[in-house]
Amino acid sequence: MTLTETLVKPKRRRWSPATRRNFIKGMLFISPWILGFLFFTLYPMASSLYISFTEHHIRTASEWIGLENYLNLLHDRRFWTSLYNTVYMVVIAVPLELLCAFVFAVLLNLKLRGQSVYRLIYYLPSIVPLVASSMLWMWILNTNNGILNVLLGYFGIKGPSWLTDPTWAKPALIIMGLWGIGNTIVIYLSGIQDVPTSLLEAAELDGASWIQRLWYVTIPMVSSITLFNLIMGVIGMFQYFTQAYIFAAAQSGRANNVLGSPLDSTLFYSVYLYDRFSNLKMGYAAAMAWILFAIILVCTLLLLRFSERWTYYEGGER
Amino acid sequence: MTNIARTMERALGRKRYVWQRALFKVLGHIVVFGVGLFFLVPALWMFFTAFKSSKDVFRFPPTLLPYDNQYVTINGKAYPLYNVPVNGEMRQLAALKIAEGQGTFVNPNDPTEVIETRARYAEPIFTIKFQWRNFSDAINRGVRPGLKVNFWTYLKNSLIVAFFTIIGTLLSCVPAAYGFSRIQWPGRELVFMLVLSTMMLPYQVTMIPLYLLFTETLKWGNSLLPIIVPSFFANAFDIFLLRQFFRTIPEDLVDAARVDGASELHILLKLIIPLSTPILAAITVFTFLWAWNDFLGPLLYLNNPEKFTLAIGLQDFQGQRNTEWNQLMAAAVVFTVPIIIAYFFAQRTFIEGIKLTGTKG
Repeated sequence: MTLTETLVKPKRRRWSPATRRNFIKGMLFISPWILGFLFFTLYPMASSLYISFTEHHIRTASEWIGLENYLNLLHDRRFWTSLYNTVYMVVIAVPLELLCAFVFAVLLNLKLRGQSVYRLIYYLPSIVPLVASSMLWMWILNTNNGILNVLLGYFGIKGPSWLTDPTWAKPALIIMGLWGIGNTIVIYLSGIQDVPTSLLEAAELDGASWIQRLWYVTIPMVSSITLFNLIMGVIGMFQYFTQAYIFAAAQSGRANNVLGSPLDSTLFYSVYLYDRFSNLKMGYAAAMAWILFAIILVCTLLLLRFSERWTYYEGGER
Repeated sequence: MTNIARTMERALGRKRYVWQRALFKVLGHIVVFGVGLFFLVPALWMFFTAFKSSKDVFRFPPTLLPYDNQYVTINGKAYPLYNVPVNGEMRQLAALKIAEGQGTFVNPNDPTEVIETRARYAEPIFTIKFQWRNFSDAINRGVRPGLKVNFWTYLKNSLIVAFFTIIGTLLSCVPAAYGFSRIQWPGRELVFMLVLSTMMLPYQVTMIPLYLLFTETLKWGNSLLPIIVPSFFANAFDIFLLRQFFRTIPEDLVDAARVDGASELHILLKLIIPLSTPILAAITVFTFLWAWNDFLGPLLYLNNPEKFTLAIGLQDFQGQRNTEWNQLMAAAVVFTVPIIIAYFFAQRTFIEGIKLTGTKG
């Protein structure tokens, strides 16, 4: 039954007793979700939309200020900085992570000895908790004693101040992110292994080289995985928080964490939102949250729209 | 087709073909190994830093393995060993005292033989030594002066959160998924679309009202409740996974049970759940990971260190002034070990779960 049919249909047929019984049963079983949806999703959504039009006061009632929060955002330099930083990550880090994950999955699918050990090694970093891995990388990226700069030094390269130089802070976070792409590698690996051997063999018999088989068979066959991971990656990156928080805390100290340090170069959207929230600018933060929601919706729809051309679903139409 | 390939193979020449394959293999090994280093070295770096002494952490050039001075015991006291040039001959001597550029060394075999020399001529002798003390230091020290809080406090809180989150998720998502898959009721698919659409909603949108609800209305500030309670009200992601699995259970089985007069609850408990252990295990493992790692939730709601979970308490182990990397890494290792153990116990579950969550949209 399509949505239009449901809407157009003039009158709902009376439910039979059995249908009614099933309906009540169904409602009972999904009641935890219904309650959760009402109290932890629907009510907070309505409330945060309302809050975004107000100025929050701690003791007295909030004050309705209309669109002021949204208009103030337009003139907020830090808001634009945070948006720029986030888009930087979405545009560079997300595709880079996908590309690396795919290439590494191809590597792990080569018929080589000891692949099971390599798969374990590639995968394990991704289960190291984010907090622990972030701290580890603060140590690795340390300017003077960090292993990365020491290793670069062996090749005669003077490593940058990853943690304190605004130019290098985001690349540092990207490198750190690449360390934890094991999940995506596993997903790609299973996708690559699901590519029908008959297709690959046919291509081989037609004289396609290894690279050609990869380009013309494997990549199109995993395109639906690429799309799914791209969308999830973009949504996740717009909410990038934990790593940036720890990154900033590593320099400014836990007690007095200057979010976004050095010099706002790691001030991502969610970080700035949290910063406004912890400064009790509730209305401002709520307005930011709704804009974030809108951005994520638009990005997802655009990706879905433009993916039709390059995505292949087994069994034709989705 | 086959003929063409065979002809090509022949044209290339059998020998050259074999040789090419061998080259391909060698190159493959080099690349896979090289990339593997990028994943392996940081992990080993974390592990071995946890065993280094504070001095060793900043030694240059750094080594992967933990090194420390080699000590020798003379009359019940330990002294570090040095390579000291004495009359053009290198000797291993124990350092009694090194001060103001002047070193006093003795022969460990004959403590009466005392040699004085410029300290900079002496080279300390290092040996691989795992400093296990870092772990007990990190774990036992009071991380916050004046508060009776340490590693065990955080561990306890993390375990409480993980335990109740798992219970809550299973108790709420299993029946909900059953209601969305095995009971036919009008409007089911429409409501399920609504469930799925909530996955698109960023956490930030509901964050502020929920914060106000939990801390101001319900006065749950500084307890673990705001983190635990929402898990008892089902989440879209786990409902989706469970529903997908429940749908693979043959309808005939369920119908047969219904004909026998079994109630829905009975069918769920006695039929569906025993058949769904793989997905239940996967959800348990992933919920544990999620609860164990969750950073933003505890950061929002927990202000009192007595309620901190390990995820937000971990930063405390880096010391008050200077970061003591060895102790911080020791704490990070301890924090990571449960996950690694979980992984080795449930390796299949992990991998299957990732594929399940990553490929079906």
